[in-house]
Amino acid sequence: MVEFSHLTKAYRKRLAVDDFTLSVDVPIFGFLGQNGAGKTTIMKMVVGLLEPTSGTITIDGALSSHPIFKKKLGYMPETPYFYEHMTGMEFMRFCDQLFGNDGADTAHYGELLKRVGIYGASDYQIRTYSKGMRQRLGFAQALVNDPEYLFLDEPLDGLDPIGRREMKEVMRELKKEGRKVFLNTHILADVEEICDEVGIIHEGKLLYAGPVKKFCDGKPLEERFVEVVEAHEREEAPAQKVREVHKPHHHARA
Amino acid sequence: MRNIWVIAKNTLKLEIRDKILYGLIVFGILYVFLTLFMADLVLKELPMVKSFGLTGIYFFNALVALFLGTTSFFKDIDRKVAYFVISKPVSRAQFLLGKFLGLCMVLLLTSAILGVAYIGLILYEHGGFDWLGLLAIAMQYLEMVLFIAFAIFVSTFSSSLLSIVYTSAVFFLGHVVSQLVSDAQQIGLGGARLFLVKVLYYIFPNLEKFDARDIAIHAVGMPFAEFGLALAYAAVYVAVLLFAATWIFDKKEM
Repeated sequence: MVEFSHLTKAYRKRLAVDDFTLSVDVPIFGFLGQNGAGKTTIMKMVVGLLEPTSGTITIDGALSSHPIFKKKLGYMPETPYFYEHMTGMEFMRFCDQLFGNDGADTAHYGELLKRVGIYGASDYQIRTYSKGMRQRLGFAQALVNDPEYLFLDEPLDGLDPIGRREMKEVMRELKKEGRKVFLNTHILADVEEICDEVGIIHEGKLLYAGPVKKFCDGKPLEERFVEVVEAHEREEAPAQKVREVHKPHHHARA
Repeated sequence: MRNIWVIAKNTLKLEIRDKILYGLIVFGILYVFLTLFMADLVLKELPMVKSFGLTGIYFFNALVALFLGTTSFFKDIDRKVAYFVISKPVSRAQFLLGKFLGLCMVLLLTSAILGVAYIGLILYEHGGFDWLGLLAIAMQYLEMVLFIAFAIFVSTFSSSLLSIVYTSAVFFLGHVVSQLVSDAQQIGLGGARLFLVKVLYYIFPNLEKFDARDIAIHAVGMPFAEFGLALAYAAVYVAVLLFAATWIFDKKEM
């Protein structure tokens, strides 16, 4: 189980994540929100790229920042960048070595590259890869350590329709294998199709967490998403106005 | 330690695939052999041949160190390739030290290539092995290691362009700072101005400690004591720079 407890991340005056509390114990969980909602920030805190300002993230009861936990985790960053002069196979080997392995399990790397559909390009330098191939390689490297938990930041971004279908199929297979998948996305159709539960995030706040069907309540997901976000903005507007009124004035008046 | 080694080997592999580095090495070798023709102009006087050769190696290694030190680490952070590494069971300190060690290995390789060209040239021209020349190249290498540590330190908090400016400035100041102190004392500078010059002397590395070219050119005896002192000086300075760089990088938001 992954638990976020009063998680907050502040960048100077801006709150990117605001008192985020959530427990997740389903095979595929989707963080859904607009660009800049705080999804990536949460994921970066899980994998140790960012330190929370306050609050904790625990996985199976242990703090996610613990090095032992990182061995159980696979992470794919948003719009992944790579060492351009490496081949796909070399990159897989390098990633595996960072888990303390000798980097000799070429058959395993080949299997993973086949699974994401770029085995044919495994000996080409990454600088020759298309955006979709890079996404696939980013996905493959997240699986190199046979992780229990996968955190995928916009994994279907930049893929063509066939690529999207293939990657969604891989996620379903991962679910069957008993792994837990967390994915960030702003594409509603993907969430509806593959996620068991969703968390709706808006301006760093969790507005809803639970099954997709319950959230939709018989309406299309897009319509419900817009409704919930707009309702939240309406609620927040008066509070924002009050904060503006009470803001101290620094300019002296003549 | 294993992670540091994996990252260092990877850095070496990637940098030697970089065409810019190839270009610098090829120009360096050409310059060393150009020394043959330059030597003709000065009637093949050994000190002049050595001077041209060693200065050329120093110049090209300084270019390589500046290029690698200011771009390699910074690029990994800026282009977010480091996300793949740090999200795995690798600490930020291991990543930084791995990059540093890898760049030192690249520089060792370029020093060795240019050094072999130089030693071979002296052997061909004058029939003797230039041990002092070899020592001068080793001392130059120590200076470049310090140079790389400084460039990585600056890269932890500034852009690549600013790193080039700062590192070049330190390179320049490091060569004049000891002269500044002795000039200030000779002209009887006192009070706050002398204090300021001495502050500069203690803050900036004294790179003149690594200049053994004159000893090699004029063959005035093997300066083992100076070499030992330079080695200890470089070790302490590099350790302080890497410690500071790790401290800053540990707190950096990615």
